[in-house]
Amino acid sequence: MGKIENKFRELKAKKKKAFIVYIPFGFPSISLSGKIITSLDKSGVDFIEVGFPFSDPLADGTIIQKATQISLKNGVNPDYFFAGLEKLKSKVKAPLIILTYYNPVYMLGLKKFLKKSKDAGVGGIMIVDLPIEEAGNYIKEAQKYELDTIFFVTPATEFERAQKIMKLCRGFVYYVSVTGITGPKDFFIKSVLEHIKRLKSCTDIAICVGFGIHNREQVRKLTKESDGIIVGSAIVKYIDDHYQEKNFLNMLSTYVKGFQE
Amino acid sequence: MRMPDKKGYFGDFGGRFIPETLSFCLRELEESYFKFKKDKRSLRELDFYLKEYAGRPTPLYFAGKLSEYLGIKVYLKREDLLHTGAHKINNTLGQIFLARHMGKKRIIAETGAGQHGVATATVAARFGFKCDVYMGEEDMRRQKTNVFKMEILGANVFPVRSGSKTLKDACNEAIRDWVTNVKDTYYLLGSVVGPHPYPLIVRDFQSVIGKEARSQIIKKENRLPDYLVACVGGGSNAIGLFHPFFDDKKVKNIGVEAGGLGLSSLNCASLIKGKVGILHGAKSFLLQDEFGQIKATHSIAAGLDYPGVGPEHSFYKRIKKACYVAVSDKEALHGFKMLSKLEGIIPALEPSHALYYLKKIAKKNKGSLVILCLSGRGDKDLDIVREKRGKIKDKDKG
Ligand SMILES: Cc1ncc(COP(=O)(O)O)c(C=O)c1O
Repeated sequence: MGKIENKFRELKAKKKKAFIVYIPFGFPSISLSGKIITSLDKSGVDFIEVGFPFSDPLADGTIIQKATQISLKNGVNPDYFFAGLEKLKSKVKAPLIILTYYNPVYMLGLKKFLKKSKDAGVGGIMIVDLPIEEAGNYIKEAQKYELDTIFFVTPATEFERAQKIMKLCRGFVYYVSVTGITGPKDFFIKSVLEHIKRLKSCTDIAICVGFGIHNREQVRKLTKESDGIIVGSAIVKYIDDHYQEKNFLNMLSTYVKGFQE
Repeated sequence: MRMPDKKGYFGDFGGRFIPETLSFCLRELEESYFKFKKDKRSLRELDFYLKEYAGRPTPLYFAGKLSEYLGIKVYLKREDLLHTGAHKINNTLGQIFLARHMGKKRIIAETGAGQHGVATATVAARFGFKCDVYMGEEDMRRQKTNVFKMEILGANVFPVRSGSKTLKDACNEAIRDWVTNVKDTYYLLGSVVGPHPYPLIVRDFQSVIGKEARSQIIKKENRLPDYLVACVGGGSNAIGLFHPFFDDKKVKNIGVEAGGLGLSSLNCASLIKGKVGILHGAKSFLLQDEFGQIKATHSIAAGLDYPGVGPEHSFYKRIKKACYVAVSDKEALHGFKMLSKLEGIIPALEPSHALYYLKKIAKKNKGSLVILCLSGRGDKDLDIVREKRGKIKDKDKG
């Protein structure tokens, strides 16, 4: 059993839902993003999605686009990235999950990317623009390295296809709350809950919801049916707005805890 | 073998690398397209509009004075004479019928030079669609007339301020819009790029160029040409010319990429200087750094200013079906002047790249028979050329 599944078991025993946070590596700086990840772990975040930047993130809204640009400007490349994760390995309890686009993976070489991920103690991988039809080889190789492959199911995915996707997911299924790009949004929660309920009826794997989540109220409602929630842009924006303040890491910790109360 | 295959691959290139949200609508698009291709009524209607509205067939004009000057026999496929001034209308007419067939209400498009944007706004006006066009801020500046035209035609033009503020970023933004409004919106892509089935759809609609040219040259010369020459941005006018000659083994295809400031400086020569990667949904040659980040590009021709290229061209390169070369900004300006002065035809800066390359062919192969795709006219580029001429003159004075 992988790290991610283990963690979900632990959470289940405690009747808790997973709280997952997305952080672009190298934002606002390489050293600070390391500190942010350690501090989030201490604040009780269950999983941390670490973004490896791609110059043209076409599923992302302006907040993550900006963070990506900064992270690239800070010189993030695979060497820095994996060295950074390696350093966190012994310090951070929350399983790390890499989130990226396919081109940087392809350029480094799929096997090399997976091996480095494994060596850095990563639990799973999500590749935004690698749908299941193109993922045959990736799934096979990821299994060899015991890395969980997390795919996306969206409101636009037909039920039959969703079942197929869920069978290929390891760790958990990423349910995308809205058809759209990342960024804080108010969306119609009832239909998301109905959709998740239907999906849960035909799988044992955990289903977590992400995209658009930015307040406690959404979290409270969404965790009624889902096994966890993922917050990205809202936290990236909080970091962008506050990282220069003295007490920043404590403030961030309080902000993040505010979602979980 | 028929290309692309079921998964949208031309050999190793193409495919469908997209966020899951777009999966359904791309499969829907593919299915509708295959139905559309069998729908005789729609095809007849498309034919009618290509002829009566856009002005097809376009002449295959023997450029006598240019031929004499160069010492080769040059025929120009006059796509510049089409309504809206470029080959782009072949594709937008085709896709607007497809969008209607699919029951979509709103059209979005990306544009670089603004030619595709204008051609999209045109058909949207004619067939009653709401139309939103994404255009890089830098391109809006250098192709002002086209921005104004789109607005007159009733389209909204959204400036894109991310990245290099050119075509690549306009594509990103159009895709983001599409992901968000996927139910009622049709994404009318302007070149043979993007996820499957776009490279196939756009190639099919642009193949009218090569089909006409092939029968025209046989009528006029009673033989096939030695060379086909076309500029390559995403590659739609080039593949439209090349594709119908695919089985003609002796015909040499030459795709001319934008060499920009030079091959060791900023350029758009994806097939010459790029490495295989994934951008905008397809695997193809790409200008990128060693870590897979997309590189900045530059070309004097906004329509060629793109770091990627259609997957079918990558395939042509791999199987050596076409040869790809680069022509710089400066050389393209030379091509621009050459055609204007000798033939009284002012070309767009994009095909001016191809025009310049005729000089190279003439040097190697005197007397050869060439068809060049004159993909568009130069009205949109007058400001740029004026600016450049000003600079050259200032230098002379200094
Ligand atoms: C006149 C003209 N030619 C060529 C192009 C390049 O596109 P493609 O390579 O798809 O033919 C453009 C694009 O805007 C154009 O306006």
